[in-house]
Amino acid sequence: MNEDRVNFGYDFVEPDEKTRRVGNIFRTVADRYDVMNDVMSFGLHRIFKRIAIETTSLRPGSKVLDVAGGTGDLCGLLADVVGHEGQVILADINESMTNIGRDKLIDSGYAWIQTTVADAEKLPFSDCYFDAITIAFGLRNMTNKDCALSECHRILKPGGILVILEFSKTTHPLLKRAYRFYQQSWPIAGQLIAGDSASYRYLIESIDVHPNQSELNCIITDAGFPEVRYENLLGGLVAIHRAEK
Amino acid sequence: MTRNAMGGASGPMVDPKLLEILVCPITKTALVYRREMEELWSKASGLAFPVRDGIPIMLEDQARALTPEEQESLN
Repeated sequence: MNEDRVNFGYDFVEPDEKTRRVGNIFRTVADRYDVMNDVMSFGLHRIFKRIAIETTSLRPGSKVLDVAGGTGDLCGLLADVVGHEGQVILADINESMTNIGRDKLIDSGYAWIQTTVADAEKLPFSDCYFDAITIAFGLRNMTNKDCALSECHRILKPGGILVILEFSKTTHPLLKRAYRFYQQSWPIAGQLIAGDSASYRYLIESIDVHPNQSELNCIITDAGFPEVRYENLLGGLVAIHRAEK
Repeated sequence: MTRNAMGGASGPMVDPKLLEILVCPITKTALVYRREMEELWSKASGLAFPVRDGIPIMLEDQARALTPEEQESLN
């Protein structure tokens, strides 16, 4: 196997190929992304996002970047915390997603949130600027996670906080089995609601091959963050990692 | 985005607060906003990043190379 290859679900592909395939998935699911999240998580993703925001230690006036911000869910919540005197930027590599996110934010009264299309591995922001960066259900899809995390480190202020909300691993055997059983319904729901089962098969695979809590801790530490801790949600099916620069 | 009869851009402009902190994703150096062309120019990387509907598209594969004359104009 070529050592440079990366996971795309259960496949190993060239890095560029992963970026291209993930891009295609999000172009395909963009307009049904929010409703699918609600259906598949029974709305729980909204609660997870609220908990993630509490983890950021943000205050009114803070500057925050949401990487892989997609359809803007987190940005709206972040804006409520930092207020107009603060700054909230939505960044996502996928223009289909940012277009939906930006329109949604404007419709919800958050026209002051700034949007940019950007690659997490090559972020277009000055050094040491942000008080916090959030990545919710995005890191898993990034091709070179170490590059993306180093970039986050570069643009955070000293003492700045990185919060990563992502699917993770449970160690409870029963929960694991129930979850696997439940996941089998995702491609069916995907087909029914979004007319697309393949993207949701990728979702299951990408969750399965994503590093567990302690492995991700190491990856974040290696990117330059001396202090990383995590909190499990739903018995570890989802985890929030918090790192301080 | 629409264009007026003179060919000038009339899309929404990039938020000035965002412009202040945007840098070239390749070289991390300053950008010049060419509003009339809806582009952000990076002298250091020689790239012009498009702005669509007020959203800067900061991806290398979406950028075009600056011409020598355009590069020169940045001096």
